Amino acid sequence: MGENIELRAEILKLARLLGFQPEEVGYLSALPGSEVRQLREQVTELLFDSHLGALKRLAAASRLLPVALVAQMGEKAFGPLLSARITGLLDPDKAVDVAARLPDAFLADAAVELDPRRASAVLARMPPERIGAVSAELAARGEYVTMGRFVGHLPDESIRATLDVFGPADTLQVALVLENKERLGDLVELLGPDRLEEMLAAADSAGLGAEARELLEMAGASGPSDLKRQRAGARARARPQS
Amino acid sequence: MSEEDLRYLREQLRAEPPEALRALPGAHLRHLADAISTARRRQAEALQEAGDQAFHYVPRLLRGPIKRILS
Repeated sequence: MGENIELRAEILKLARLLGFQPEEVGYLSALPGSEVRQLREQVTELLFDSHLGALKRLAAASRLLPVALVAQMGEKAFGPLLSARITGLLDPDKAVDVAARLPDAFLADAAVELDPRRASAVLARMPPERIGAVSAELAARGEYVTMGRFVGHLPDESIRATLDVFGPADTLQVALVLENKERLGDLVELLGPDRLEEMLAAADSAGLGAEARELLEMAGASGPSDLKRQRAGARARARPQS
Repeated sequence: MSEEDLRYLREQLRAEPPEALRALPGAHLRHLADAISTARRRQAEALQEAGDQAFHYVPRLLRGPIKRILS
Protein backbone atom coordinates (compact mmCIF):
# COMPACT_ATOMS: atom_id res chain seq x y z
CA MET A 1 0.00 0.00 0.00
CA GLY A 2 1.85 2.96 1.37
CA GLU A 3 4.96 2.02 -0.64
CA ASN A 4 3.77 4.08 -3.63
CA ILE A 5 2.79 7.03 -1.47
CA GLU A 6 6.11 6.90 0.35
CA LEU A 7 8.05 6.56 -2.88
CA ARG A 8 6.31 9.60 -4.38
CA ALA A 9 7.02 11.56 -1.19
CA GLU A 10 10.70 10.58 -1.29
CA ILE A 11 11.02 11.55 -4.96
CA LEU A 12 9.43 14.92 -4.20
CA LYS A 13 11.84 15.52 -1.29
CA LEU A 14 14.89 14.59 -3.34
CA ALA A 15 13.72 16.66 -6.32
CA ARG A 16 13.37 19.69 -4.05
CA LEU A 17 16.86 19.29 -2.68
CA LEU A 18 18.20 19.22 -6.21
CA GLY A 19 16.05 22.10 -7.44
CA PHE A 20 13.99 19.93 -9.79
CA GLN A 21 10.34 19.23 -10.45
CA PRO A 22 9.55 15.63 -9.36
CA GLU A 23 8.87 14.63 -13.00
CA GLU A 24 12.49 15.40 -13.87
CA VAL A 25 13.65 12.53 -11.66
CA GLY A 26 10.61 10.39 -12.44
CA TYR A 27 12.96 7.54 -13.41
CA LEU A 28 13.53 6.98 -9.68
CA SER A 29 10.00 5.59 -9.40
CA ALA A 30 11.42 2.27 -10.62
CA LEU A 31 13.36 1.97 -7.35
CA PRO A 32 12.20 0.95 -3.86
CA GLY A 33 11.20 3.90 -1.64
CA SER A 34 13.77 2.91 0.99
CA GLU A 35 16.61 3.27 -1.54
CA VAL A 36 15.37 6.67 -2.73
CA ARG A 37 15.15 7.71 0.91
CA GLN A 38 18.74 6.60 1.48
CA LEU A 39 19.87 8.61 -1.56
CA ARG A 40 17.88 11.63 -0.37
CA GLU A 41 19.49 11.38 3.07
CA GLN A 42 22.94 11.21 1.47
CA VAL A 43 22.21 14.31 -0.62
CA THR A 44 20.85 16.10 2.49
CA GLU A 45 24.03 15.29 4.41
CA LEU A 46 26.17 16.48 1.53
CA LEU A 47 24.35 19.78 1.05
CA PHE A 48 24.08 20.57 4.75
CA ASP A 49 27.74 19.70 5.33
CA SER A 50 28.98 21.56 2.24
CA HIS A 51 30.22 25.02 3.22
CA LEU A 52 29.71 24.08 6.86
CA GLY A 53 32.75 26.16 7.84
CA ALA A 54 31.28 29.32 6.29
CA LEU A 55 27.84 28.61 7.78
CA LYS A 56 29.36 28.08 11.24
CA ARG A 57 31.24 31.37 10.98
CA LEU A 58 28.01 33.15 10.05
CA ALA A 59 26.28 31.56 13.04
CA ALA A 60 29.17 32.65 15.28
CA ALA A 61 29.01 36.21 13.91
CA SER A 62 25.29 36.36 14.63
CA ARG A 63 26.07 36.10 18.37
CA LEU A 64 27.36 39.66 18.24
CA LEU A 65 24.17 40.98 16.68
CA PRO A 66 20.80 41.79 18.21
CA VAL A 67 17.97 39.35 17.56
CA ALA A 68 15.95 41.86 15.50
CA LEU A 69 18.88 42.42 13.15
CA VAL A 70 19.53 38.69 12.73
CA ALA A 71 15.86 38.23 11.85
CA GLN A 72 16.01 41.07 9.32
CA MET A 73 19.17 39.62 7.74
CA GLY A 74 17.60 36.16 7.63
CA GLU A 75 14.53 37.40 5.84
CA LYS A 76 16.10 39.99 3.52
CA ALA A 77 19.60 38.68 2.80
CA PHE A 78 19.78 34.93 3.47
CA GLY A 79 16.30 33.88 2.48
CA PRO A 80 14.60 30.63 3.50
CA LEU A 81 17.12 28.14 2.08
CA LEU A 82 20.25 29.53 3.73
CA SER A 83 18.32 30.39 6.89
CA ALA A 84 17.30 26.73 7.04
CA ARG A 85 20.94 25.67 6.64
CA ILE A 86 22.07 27.96 9.47
CA THR A 87 19.20 27.31 11.94
CA GLY A 88 20.69 24.20 13.49
CA LEU A 89 24.03 25.99 13.99
CA LEU A 90 22.61 28.89 15.99
CA ASP A 91 22.20 28.89 19.73
CA PRO A 92 18.73 27.26 20.00
CA ASP A 93 17.29 29.95 22.30
CA LYS A 94 18.49 32.70 20.00
CA ALA A 95 17.08 30.84 16.99
CA VAL A 96 13.66 30.72 18.70
CA ASP A 97 13.85 34.45 19.45
CA VAL A 98 14.76 35.14 15.83
CA ALA A 99 11.88 32.95 14.61
CA ALA A 100 9.49 34.93 16.84
CA ARG A 101 10.24 38.00 14.71
CA LEU A 102 9.72 36.31 11.36
CA PRO A 103 6.37 35.93 9.59
CA ASP A 104 4.63 32.53 9.44
CA ALA A 105 5.00 32.49 5.65
CA PHE A 106 8.79 32.84 5.89
CA LEU A 107 9.02 30.11 8.54
CA ALA A 108 6.91 27.87 6.32
CA ASP A 109 9.29 28.53 3.39
CA ALA A 110 12.25 27.74 5.65
CA ALA A 111 10.55 24.60 7.00
CA VAL A 112 10.41 23.19 3.47
CA GLU A 113 14.22 23.50 3.29
CA LEU A 114 15.05 22.56 6.88
CA ASP A 115 16.52 19.24 7.99
CA PRO A 116 14.51 18.75 11.21
CA ARG A 117 17.11 16.30 12.56
CA ARG A 118 19.63 19.13 12.67
CA ALA A 119 17.24 21.61 14.22
CA SER A 120 15.47 19.43 16.79
CA ALA A 121 16.76 21.55 19.73
CA VAL A 122 15.19 24.62 18.12
CA LEU A 123 11.95 22.83 17.26
CA ALA A 124 11.66 21.56 20.84
CA ARG A 125 11.87 25.14 22.17
CA MET A 126 9.43 26.73 19.72
CA PRO A 127 6.14 27.77 21.36
CA PRO A 128 3.50 25.15 20.39
CA GLU A 129 1.05 27.82 19.19
CA ARG A 130 3.70 29.10 16.74
CA ILE A 131 4.28 25.57 15.46
CA GLY A 132 0.50 25.35 15.04
CA ALA A 133 0.42 28.61 13.06
CA VAL A 134 3.24 27.54 10.72
CA SER A 135 1.64 24.11 10.34
CA ALA A 136 -1.61 25.79 9.29
CA GLU A 137 0.35 27.71 6.65
CA LEU A 138 2.00 24.50 5.43
CA ALA A 139 -1.35 22.68 5.32
CA ALA A 140 -2.87 25.56 3.32
CA ARG A 141 -0.07 25.05 0.79
CA GLY A 142 -0.59 21.29 0.73
CA GLU A 143 2.93 20.81 2.18
CA TYR A 144 2.12 17.48 3.83
CA VAL A 145 5.47 15.98 2.91
CA THR A 146 7.23 18.75 4.84
CA MET A 147 4.99 18.19 7.85
CA GLY A 148 5.62 14.47 7.62
CA ARG A 149 9.34 15.12 8.10
CA PHE A 150 8.75 17.22 11.20
CA VAL A 151 6.31 15.22 13.30
CA GLY A 152 9.01 12.91 14.66
CA HIS A 153 10.95 15.92 15.96
CA LEU A 154 8.15 17.82 17.65
CA PRO A 155 7.15 17.58 21.31
CA ASP A 156 3.64 16.30 22.04
CA GLU A 157 2.39 19.81 22.86
CA SER A 158 3.40 21.07 19.43
CA ILE A 159 1.79 18.07 17.72
CA ARG A 160 -1.38 18.76 19.68
CA ALA A 161 -1.31 22.42 18.55
CA THR A 162 -0.85 21.21 14.97
CA LEU A 163 -3.71 18.71 15.18
CA ASP A 164 -5.90 21.54 16.48
CA VAL A 165 -5.43 23.50 13.26
CA PHE A 166 -5.55 20.49 10.92
CA GLY A 167 -8.72 19.16 9.38
CA PRO A 168 -9.13 15.34 9.21
CA ALA A 169 -7.94 15.25 5.58
CA ASP A 170 -4.76 17.18 6.52
CA THR A 171 -4.01 14.75 9.34
CA LEU A 172 -4.50 11.82 7.01
CA GLN A 173 -2.17 13.23 4.35
CA VAL A 174 0.57 13.86 6.93
CA ALA A 175 0.16 10.42 8.52
CA LEU A 176 0.55 8.77 5.12
CA VAL A 177 3.95 10.36 4.51
CA LEU A 178 5.18 10.38 8.10
CA GLU A 179 8.92 9.79 8.19
CA ASN A 180 9.23 8.50 11.73
CA LYS A 181 6.54 5.85 11.69
CA GLU A 182 7.41 4.93 15.28
CA ARG A 183 5.53 8.08 16.28
CA LEU A 184 2.30 6.85 14.71
CA GLY A 185 1.14 5.41 18.03
CA ASP A 186 1.67 8.79 19.76
CA LEU A 187 -0.14 10.53 16.93
CA VAL A 188 -3.17 8.26 17.31
CA GLU A 189 -3.14 8.82 21.06
CA LEU A 190 -2.94 12.60 20.64
CA LEU A 191 -5.67 12.54 18.02
CA GLY A 192 -8.13 10.86 20.33
CA PRO A 193 -11.06 8.66 19.27
CA ASP A 194 -13.29 11.38 17.80
CA ARG A 195 -10.69 12.91 15.51
CA LEU A 196 -9.43 9.44 14.62
CA GLU A 197 -12.94 8.55 13.52
CA GLU A 198 -13.10 11.72 11.40
CA MET A 199 -9.72 10.93 9.88
CA LEU A 200 -10.82 7.42 8.92
CA ALA A 201 -13.99 8.85 7.37
CA ALA A 202 -11.85 11.33 5.39
CA ALA A 203 -9.68 8.41 4.28
CA ASP A 204 -12.72 6.44 3.12
CA SER A 205 -14.03 9.37 1.09
CA ALA A 206 -10.60 9.86 -0.48
CA GLY A 207 -10.40 6.14 -1.37
CA LEU A 208 -7.54 5.74 1.10
CA GLY A 209 -9.39 3.72 3.76
CA ALA A 210 -7.21 0.63 3.37
CA GLU A 211 -4.01 2.69 3.64
CA ALA A 212 -5.26 4.51 6.74
CA ARG A 213 -6.21 1.25 8.47
CA GLU A 214 -2.86 -0.26 7.60
CA LEU A 215 -1.22 2.73 9.24
CA LEU A 216 -3.28 2.08 12.36
CA GLU A 217 -2.10 -1.51 12.34
CA MET A 218 1.52 -0.44 11.91
CA ALA A 219 1.08 1.84 14.90
CA GLY A 220 -0.24 -1.09 16.89
CA ALA A 221 -3.11 1.28 17.56
CA SER A 222 -6.72 0.48 18.16
CA GLY A 223 -9.66 1.79 16.17
CA PRO A 224 -11.75 4.69 17.48
CA SER A 225 -14.20 2.54 19.48
CA ASP A 226 -11.41 0.54 21.18
CA LEU A 227 -9.64 3.80 21.93
CA LYS A 228 -12.81 5.18 23.53
CA ARG A 229 -13.14 2.03 25.68
CA GLN A 230 -9.45 2.19 26.69
CA ARG A 231 -9.78 5.83 27.68
CA ALA A 232 -12.95 5.19 29.69
CA GLY A 233 -11.13 2.34 31.48
CA ALA A 234 -8.14 4.57 32.21
CA ARG A 235 -10.43 7.31 33.56
CA ALA A 236 -12.22 4.78 35.78
CA ARG A 237 -8.91 3.46 37.11
CA ALA A 238 -7.72 7.02 37.80
CA ARG A 239 -10.91 7.87 39.77
CA PRO A 240 -10.20 7.94 43.52
CA GLN A 241 -11.61 4.91 45.38
CA SER A 242 -14.22 5.86 47.96
CA MET B 1 24.90 1.53 -16.10
CA SER B 2 28.66 1.69 -16.52
CA GLU B 3 31.17 1.60 -13.69
CA GLU B 4 32.35 5.01 -14.88
CA ASP B 5 28.89 6.56 -14.42
CA LEU B 6 28.60 5.01 -10.99
CA ARG B 7 32.04 6.32 -10.03
CA TYR B 8 31.06 9.82 -11.19
CA LEU B 9 27.92 9.68 -9.02
CA ARG B 10 29.94 8.38 -6.06
CA GLU B 11 32.39 11.27 -6.46
CA GLN B 12 29.64 13.90 -6.50
CA LEU B 13 27.71 12.27 -3.67
CA ARG B 14 30.88 11.66 -1.65
CA ALA B 15 29.33 8.41 -0.50
CA GLU B 16 28.49 4.96 -1.85
CA PRO B 17 25.17 5.31 -3.73
CA PRO B 18 22.35 2.94 -2.68
CA GLU B 19 22.66 -0.48 -4.32
CA ALA B 20 19.40 -0.20 -6.30
CA LEU B 21 20.78 2.68 -8.34
CA ARG B 22 22.90 0.15 -10.24
CA ALA B 23 19.71 -0.80 -12.06
CA LEU B 24 19.43 2.68 -13.63
CA PRO B 25 20.82 3.50 -17.07
CA GLY B 26 24.07 5.48 -17.11
CA ALA B 27 22.32 8.62 -18.41
CA HIS B 28 20.18 8.75 -15.26
CA LEU B 29 23.17 8.29 -12.98
CA ARG B 30 24.95 11.15 -14.78
CA HIS B 31 21.80 13.26 -14.52
CA LEU B 32 21.74 12.73 -10.76
CA ALA B 33 25.46 13.38 -10.38
CA ASP B 34 25.26 16.61 -12.41
CA ALA B 35 22.25 17.74 -10.38
CA ILE B 36 24.10 17.17 -7.11
CA SER B 37 27.11 19.08 -8.39
CA THR B 38 24.89 21.97 -9.57
CA ALA B 39 23.03 22.08 -6.24
CA ARG B 40 26.34 22.42 -4.36
CA ARG B 41 27.57 25.12 -6.72
CA ARG B 42 24.29 27.08 -6.43
CA GLN B 43 24.46 26.85 -2.67
CA ALA B 44 28.02 28.22 -2.65
CA GLU B 45 27.00 31.12 -4.91
CA ALA B 46 23.92 31.88 -2.80
CA LEU B 47 26.03 31.87 0.35
CA GLN B 48 28.57 34.25 -1.13
CA GLU B 49 25.90 36.62 -2.37
CA ALA B 50 23.91 36.52 0.88
CA GLY B 51 27.05 37.09 2.96
CA ASP B 52 27.89 40.24 0.96
CA GLN B 53 24.32 41.49 1.17
CA ALA B 54 23.98 40.76 4.90
CA PHE B 55 27.09 42.76 5.66
CA HIS B 56 25.27 45.97 4.70
CA TYR B 57 22.85 45.39 7.59
CA VAL B 58 25.67 45.22 10.16
CA PRO B 59 26.16 48.47 12.12
CA ARG B 60 29.47 50.17 11.24
CA LEU B 61 30.87 49.70 14.75
CA LEU B 62 30.48 45.93 14.53
CA ARG B 63 31.74 45.46 10.98
CA GLY B 64 35.38 45.00 12.09
CA PRO B 65 34.70 42.24 14.67
CA ILE B 66 32.22 40.52 12.34
CA LYS B 67 34.72 40.58 9.47
CA ARG B 68 37.34 38.98 11.73
CA ILE B 69 34.92 36.13 12.63
CA LEU B 70 33.98 35.58 9.01
CA SER B 71 37.50 35.54 7.60
